[in-house]
Amino acid sequence: MAILNLTAKQSNRILIHKNMEPVKLENSVDIILTPQFYTFLREELDIKFAYQAKQIAASLFDDYIDTQVDYQYHVYKCDNAWCFFAYNIEEIDSFLESKGIEKHRVAKIYFAQELKDELTKPMLLSGNHAMQSVDDVVTMLPKRFLAEDVEYVTLDTEKLKLKNGVTMGASLNSFVSLKETIVLGSLLALLGTSLIVEGNRIKSSMANEDAKLTTLIDENPKYGSSMLRESILDKYKPIDTTERAKRQAMKEISKLLSAKSQLKELSIDKNSISANIATQNKSISKQVSEHAKIKKMKVTATGLELKVEVKL
Amino acid sequence: MNLMTLQRYKNELVLLVAFLFALFAFFYKYSASADVEKNKANIQKQISDITAIENYKGMWDGKKMANKIKILKTIVPNSKVQSFSKKSKKLVASYTNLTSNDLNKLNNKLINMPVQIVSLKITESSKNIFTMEFTCKW
Repeated sequence: MAILNLTAKQSNRILIHKNMEPVKLENSVDIILTPQFYTFLREELDIKFAYQAKQIAASLFDDYIDTQVDYQYHVYKCDNAWCFFAYNIEEIDSFLESKGIEKHRVAKIYFAQELKDELTKPMLLSGNHAMQSVDDVVTMLPKRFLAEDVEYVTLDTEKLKLKNGVTMGASLNSFVSLKETIVLGSLLALLGTSLIVEGNRIKSSMANEDAKLTTLIDENPKYGSSMLRESILDKYKPIDTTERAKRQAMKEISKLLSAKSQLKELSIDKNSISANIATQNKSISKQVSEHAKIKKMKVTATGLELKVEVKL
Repeated sequence: MNLMTLQRYKNELVLLVAFLFALFAFFYKYSASADVEKNKANIQKQISDITAIENYKGMWDGKKMANKIKILKTIVPNSKVQSFSKKSKKLVASYTNLTSNDLNKLNNKLINMPVQIVSLKITESSKNIFTMEFTCKW
């Protein structure tokens, strides 16, 4: 007779069945659910991806489970078909708690269906029940259905190769699907990355200006002081502005002169530039006067003589 | 919050982390822009100030002007130079009997020199003959 070791101290995997003894855990464990806790279907479907299979899982179980109860579904590819599992995580959760297995200790949930190849011979679970693979489906059998001299197998759960588990948390319904998470998460990550790249590019754009300033200050260390710069600018800027204005005004006045409009006097003082221009006739006088006004000069006419003035 | 709850909301957590990352990146870019805008304007102003100072000083600091200004004495015949008094960084000069040509030459030379024209007076003394007097400094 085979006896399955159920204590967590020696094993990190526990086979869960309704007649199991309570256990005391100190570490997290993986659990293997017997068919008492799930409904299994195997379907040959023309589906490529597991998430597509999961989308139709609920409709496949319509005729097999109570639709009033909130079931979770798990799907994986088995040979050429898809293996579908429907289970009620709340029921499992409360059962585990009743056996001393806190839910946060459960790392992964596996389904006994994965043991179909190992259970070609029955395995005794408790005094009344055994588990055996029947037509490639792991099934719970009352012991009385089995021959008295049947040979039971012993399984070392640690050595079993289980690969299609589901996490306790993932088995609960999430508000956001995995597909949405991948799409939205990728978009946000892409957006974030592009913003950081852009931020770095903006920061580096200042490097040229900074280098230019450093060179200028290296050449003239005293210009590093903003007070000195302002003081020098305050000294030279008004000189530059006024002297340029004087020269520009003189050029403009010279443009008013010709053989028929001759300079009689020109003077520059602190505030203004003025010139007396003698014209030959009224027509020339008017022409010169208009040109001067276009250049925003103040014009005073006395007979044929014009006085033009530019304020500085 | 226990492990199961974390696992249950794993997708939401992943999205939250991605969202926080994007939010952080947004503020990083925003602060980089603001920082650069503020510093760039400051740096550009400093560059423009220093460049302006160099230009102004190159033009108006009057170095070697004491020699250059002598051309105003020689550009017209000596007989037409009534007075030419250069003291320190100031020149007071007066000319008589300048023809239009003399006047234009003298005037062009003066306005193309980086000196401050303190005062200037040109008067026609007779037909196409002028007198000119000016004070400039550098």
